Amino acid sequence: MYQYNEQDQNLVNQRVEQYRDQTRRFLAGEIPDDEFRGLRLMNGLYIQRFAPMLRVAVPYGLMNSVQVRKLAHIARTYDKNYAHFTTRTNLQFNWPKLEEVPDILAELAEVQMHAIQTSGNCLRNTTTDHFAGILKDEIEDSRPWCEIIRQWTTLHPEFAYLPRKFKIAVTGSSEDRAASQVHDIGLHLVKNDAGEVGFEVLVGGGLGRTPMIGKVICDFLPKHDLLTYLEAILRVYNLNGRRDNKYKARIKILVDALGIDKFRELVDAEWAEIRGGEMHLTDAEIARIKGFFAPHPYAADAVNGVAALESKLAEDSDFAAWYERNTREHKVDGYRAVVVSLKPYLKAPGDITDVQLDVVADLADKYNFGEIRSTHDQNLVLAHVQAGDLFAVWQVLAENNLARPNIGTLTDMIVCPGFDFCSLANAHTLNVADQINQKFDDIDYLHDIGDIKLNMSGCINACAHHHVAHIGILGVDRKGEDFYQITLGGSSREDASLGKVIGKAVPQAEVADTLEKVLQVYIEQREEEERFIDTVRRIGLTPFKERVYAPVN
Amino acid sequence: MPLLINQSVVTDDKWVRVDADTLAQHPDAAIIVPFELFAAEQDSLLAGDRPLAVQINGDQDFELVLANLERLSLVVIEFPVFTDGRGFSFARILRRKGFSGEIRATGDVSHDRLEYMTRCGFDAFEIQDERFTGETCSVFGEITVHYQGSADDERPIFRR
Repeated sequence: MYQYNEQDQNLVNQRVEQYRDQTRRFLAGEIPDDEFRGLRLMNGLYIQRFAPMLRVAVPYGLMNSVQVRKLAHIARTYDKNYAHFTTRTNLQFNWPKLEEVPDILAELAEVQMHAIQTSGNCLRNTTTDHFAGILKDEIEDSRPWCEIIRQWTTLHPEFAYLPRKFKIAVTGSSEDRAASQVHDIGLHLVKNDAGEVGFEVLVGGGLGRTPMIGKVICDFLPKHDLLTYLEAILRVYNLNGRRDNKYKARIKILVDALGIDKFRELVDAEWAEIRGGEMHLTDAEIARIKGFFAPHPYAADAVNGVAALESKLAEDSDFAAWYERNTREHKVDGYRAVVVSLKPYLKAPGDITDVQLDVVADLADKYNFGEIRSTHDQNLVLAHVQAGDLFAVWQVLAENNLARPNIGTLTDMIVCPGFDFCSLANAHTLNVADQINQKFDDIDYLHDIGDIKLNMSGCINACAHHHVAHIGILGVDRKGEDFYQITLGGSSREDASLGKVIGKAVPQAEVADTLEKVLQVYIEQREEEERFIDTVRRIGLTPFKERVYAPVN
Repeated sequence: MPLLINQSVVTDDKWVRVDADTLAQHPDAAIIVPFELFAAEQDSLLAGDRPLAVQINGDQDFELVLANLERLSLVVIEFPVFTDGRGFSFARILRRKGFSGEIRATGDVSHDRLEYMTRCGFDAFEIQDERFTGETCSVFGEITVHYQGSADDERPIFRR
């Protein structure tokens, strides 16, 4: 992974001292509240329902064991022994003290981490496929490009006060695990007819109040032009995006209002001014960054572990169930990628304790080249585990409540913290997640339902991406009571689509029962091997509506 | 209201702000003209040879300023609120067009934006009295590592 040089380290060190000084001046009354709000948000610090919340950047979801141990240490020392992974693959601490945040940042800087631009109306953390670099059909590893974008976005002087936040995602294969089509900019590594690698560029995707799928602005962007093109898009947005209404300020609204062709014209005119300029990427810089992402020294004899693995799979059905759902193939024979489930029974999705963080760091050191990844759907990945080590890894994960065999199933939900923590939320989410877990705890049932994506947001801001889940749940407030609106048919993948509401919101007590009715329709109607989403697309919403809203006798 | 030019406090500002009523009172002075007045009186204003400046904000027609850069020795960019980031791009574009006069920030301008503004091409800042302290000038150089090329140095870190 990328290693800081002296300049990178100087930057984060200076940023810590800058923020320490800003905090000092705020506490001394020298910075007005609303201005400090802008400054602290650009450093990931929110003031939430009960306490501040600090969001730490995990650039494109990649960490090493030293960093993960530091996160465990911070959870223990400055927080209540746990933290929460987000859909931007970042990590949130829920109970830091405002005055101690500069000290936390100093601790992070010791391990090449920071909280720069994890909130605020600026360029946010760039995300990517959590299986980047291990995929057989990958056009290129997307992570070097994410690092190039990370450096360009970090403390960008011109784009720190955008109309609204701005998120970029990059994918490197035909599959999309980064929800790139619902990002402000989605970048897909592609090959043109001449065999050259470049980017398909999408712009204007997003969720929130006005969900939209991104539109193609450029079919093929030569890779050396990446930063000049991004700069052109951002400048057009900074100058033309709406600033009168925060709900209409995202780039998706501008692109939609102008139309993609007019928007492209503006970008191309700006790009023509800067395309050949200094921000044009050099071969040397691309090669330098790629050098940090060279393949790990994989063991040539890893395939020898397959026989031992197969005998363990045959004799231990729990291990076999976990292997089936929570591991996936690796481009190197004899290796598998392991998904560490942060969706245990009756715990907040995405939460992890200090002890668990240390356990994962130890496993990474012993079995995974010291590498840990966080995923868009709030789990962790050990991407390079030898076949012969899988049983040992599973045992340790299982002992620490990190091996629930539910990856990609109904209980692998993306859930925002909701009303329990968030000051924007209209409704609770965590207790509804518990209700769903209690109703659908049977592994055989979950595995029979198979691949399904359930996301739940506690308000219209859609942090849990409910619009693009196969089943989306949106919490709403009805005269002081929590109700839940259900959408079906969304997807954040390469076949991205927005879910449609099936009818009036249901009371909190009925959410799991309503899901059961939806799933019954699927079980009755599905064709062989047909996934839930494909059944919904084939038969439409009507059969589901009829079942859910059937008159009670 | 303290004025910083090139990172130092300046006490004698030669520029006089005029409006439609006071324009005639300063026939020879170096004047800062609000954008609306400039747009309305551009023929007569451009015809003279006294030092001329325009003050513009993000809602106004930046193209008209760009079309008359040769006649302007100062462009004042107004930030009605600190969250309005359009002025950063205005300054960047002015420098890209080769404008070598002064670019001055006014309005909601304070300590924690001065460094970014400087990088985008501003070299002068009007700071409200209540937001100015002895520490304000020390903001320059808080962050010395710059990944991107910008108006202060068009080369990104990988070309330096």
